[in-house]
Amino acid sequence: MKKNKQPNFSKAHRDYVKKLKKDKFFIIFFRIFILVAFLGLWELLTYFKVVDPFFISSPSRIVLQIVELCKNGTLLTHTWVTLYETLIGFTIATVIGYVVAIALWCNEKLRKILEPYIVVLNSLPKIALGPIIILWVGAGTSAIVVMCVLICVIITTMSMMSAFLSVEEGKILLLKSMHANKFQILFKLVLPNSMPEFISVLKINVGMSWVGSIMGEYLTSKAGLGYLIVYGGQIFRIDLVMASTIILCILAFGMYYIVSLLEKKFSSFRGKS
Amino acid sequence: MKNLLIYKDVNFFYQTKNDEIFALKKINFEIEEECFASLVGPSGCGKTTILSLTAGLLKPTSGKIIFDESEQIDTKKIGYMFQKDHLFEWRSVWKNITLGLEIQKPTDREKKIALAEELLKKYDLFSFKDKKPRSLSGGMRQRVALIRTLVLEPKLLLLDEPFSALDYQTRLSVCDDVHEIIKKEKKTALLVTHDIAESLTMSDKIIVLSSRPATVKEEIVPNLCGKTPFEKREDNASFSPLFEKIWRLLSNEEKQTT
Repeated sequence: MKKNKQPNFSKAHRDYVKKLKKDKFFIIFFRIFILVAFLGLWELLTYFKVVDPFFISSPSRIVLQIVELCKNGTLLTHTWVTLYETLIGFTIATVIGYVVAIALWCNEKLRKILEPYIVVLNSLPKIALGPIIILWVGAGTSAIVVMCVLICVIITTMSMMSAFLSVEEGKILLLKSMHANKFQILFKLVLPNSMPEFISVLKINVGMSWVGSIMGEYLTSKAGLGYLIVYGGQIFRIDLVMASTIILCILAFGMYYIVSLLEKKFSSFRGKS
Repeated sequence: MKNLLIYKDVNFFYQTKNDEIFALKKINFEIEEECFASLVGPSGCGKTTILSLTAGLLKPTSGKIIFDESEQIDTKKIGYMFQKDHLFEWRSVWKNITLGLEIQKPTDREKKIALAEELLKKYDLFSFKDKKPRSLSGGMRQRVALIRTLVLEPKLLLLDEPFSALDYQTRLSVCDDVHEIIKKEKKTALLVTHDIAESLTMSDKIIVLSSRPATVKEEIVPNLCGKTPFEKREDNASFSPLFEKIWRLLSNEEKQTT
């Protein structure tokens, strides 16, 4: 916005900038308005007992619940357990998915052989594997991490592989004409060229890994936000369910935000061309 | 001058699943050192195939390609410039130019780095050294692509319609630039183009190909007056008849195929 400091712009330009600012203000205002209106309505309806807060809780009760959870330290423990599972699952899935995609890019025959298996694995609802996972790796954290990895890994491999394969043929030819070997083509061209797709895979995985860890906790857990949600549901403490869900929202948003910071850094990786 | 590139009875077939395409039929030509040669021909006749064969990306089905007095083509002595500049957007101009050095790791790296710097300075790109390609104009990008090729010090430059992606104004000036650079650096070049005027004004020798299977129809030595390709366009007395001659050769070919 440095340009605004230059005084010699025409009125039309000043009006244009004013309009842009007005539009931006309008959007931000309504974003906040929706949230405030929603919370306010919710609070009022429950306060005047139009609807029963036992079933839908209320913003004030959720806040009280969170404060209480904070005081006795359980919030931190449960949040940490889920965050830990999610981050581990996210990292393992991303690394494995990426490495497998590279291997499949390197070997065309292998890629063609494995294609139908990958498609089947991708369309399989991973939750169906829950009992098998528990039998094989035991209940608890490891089962949850495995669930998380299973959910993210296939989509990582598939997306990255198609990104690797979409490199312009001409660029590969250029490197070949310079005598590059396959290894050099991979590291000088294919991997950096697919950075934007890698970032969008990270974004997808942020969402998917939370799905994985919470689903895992629904299946088998003694702690975690997913555990709190299930537990709260079973003993009809809807405040607890809502409070855990809100914390989950904040965490997922935070993780997404970190990835989107990365995105800005790599946005220059592919220009017009 | 001795011949740098010789094609002797080169035949080439493309293999596809359902067909075998006879692309080149008994191609014969020679290109002397420091000669700027052009290949023109009806579209799809196999001009690019000749470049790919020369660059060693394809092997001829039969016949001989002799480069630098050897049948074993030393492709490190050949530079290839494409229709698009294919600059890597994530690398700075300098990193793009030295890409070939990173890949080939030549023993005389220092010398080639110095050459790269010299070329950048000579062709007004030094101040853009650390910029990303996106901030360059189409003409500048094409010059960067040419320098990237020249840094590897090829004996022969293969140019595959390197100007076709540019708008007409830029095209004329980049033509001049590239021609000047190639002549100054005393390189041999083989240019593929659709543009008859471009081939006439840039080259010392034009090889006219027939439609598929391509054979050499005629070789033309333009000998136009003028220093730059742009000036050569002014030499009406020679330019127009030659233009017409090539145009007739090509349009006869296209008629035969349709």
